[in-house]
Amino acid sequence: MQEETSAQDLRERLALIESMIAEGRRRTQSWGWVFLLWGVAYCVAIVWSTHGRDLSVWSSADSLAWPLTMSVALVVTMIIGIRKSRGQPVTTVGRAIGAFWTCVGISMLVVFPTLAISGRLDEHVFVALVAAMLGAANGASGMILRWKWQVACAIAWWVTSAAACFGSVARATALFLAAIFACQIVFGIYAMILEARRGGTRGVVHV
Amino acid sequence: MAARAGWSMSELPELNPVIHGKLRLALLSLLTTVEEAEFTWLRARTGSTDGNLGAQLAKLEEAGYVSVEKKFVQRKPQTLYRMTEEGRRALAEYVQALKQLLGTAIGT
Repeated sequence: MQEETSAQDLRERLALIESMIAEGRRRTQSWGWVFLLWGVAYCVAIVWSTHGRDLSVWSSADSLAWPLTMSVALVVTMIIGIRKSRGQPVTTVGRAIGAFWTCVGISMLVVFPTLAISGRLDEHVFVALVAAMLGAANGASGMILRWKWQVACAIAWWVTSAAACFGSVARATALFLAAIFACQIVFGIYAMILEARRGGTRGVVHV
Repeated sequence: MAARAGWSMSELPELNPVIHGKLRLALLSLLTTVEEAEFTWLRARTGSTDGNLGAQLAKLEEAGYVSVEKKFVQRKPQTLYRMTEEGRRALAEYVQALKQLLGTAIGT
């Protein structure tokens, strides 16, 4: 067999292995839309809970702002996520990141309703906790994927978390909105642009 | 070629013929990067036809290098392929042999 194998052919085989490994590792799943969706959901919930009572359509319903908006965002994420990930392979990295975000989401679902029911939830605690948890999830994802922009988002969330503990409620809300805009909406759109650019080239392998 | 390049046949490592086929090599390389992959994903990545891909995957399965799981998801058939430990070992040995042969070729 080797007698028929030229050095050029061997190099081609080695290049094929490298290109296929790179192709397999290429992240084909798109998650930019999730950041954007949740960024918009946070904004809707903030506007609804802050100004809801001024709007006749939402009168007396503003206590439902966060639970309802978050529930709708969760259901939409699950439906679109399942549809988009159909046919995509399972990777260890993907499973690790997915598990981390799921656990952060469950932590939020457990801690916020409990704090609200116990009467210990105020705006400062809320923003500090949400920002700290989003910082942890973004930080872990960014470090696993070696994506500096996501790590930068994590740092922004951690700064927001610390800063939200001081000053007025209005200041904490403004900080929260700024972090949502930068780390959810802008980052989500940026990720979607990257994913759209990446979508194209596919190689063809013959026997 | 080997003789032309100055290789001694007794010193040459064997290249596994099951892995040496380009599409089979591409498939094993792809499967090293994922835990499991669907037939459709492998087809999209390699740009191969259904018939050719099925035939090459069957050869890899026959050699014990990949395992196959067929199931129904929402009443649609799904075929999942996983690389076996034997497959990983065989690919590692193939790459080793390839590098050794290339090293010999460059050195001559």
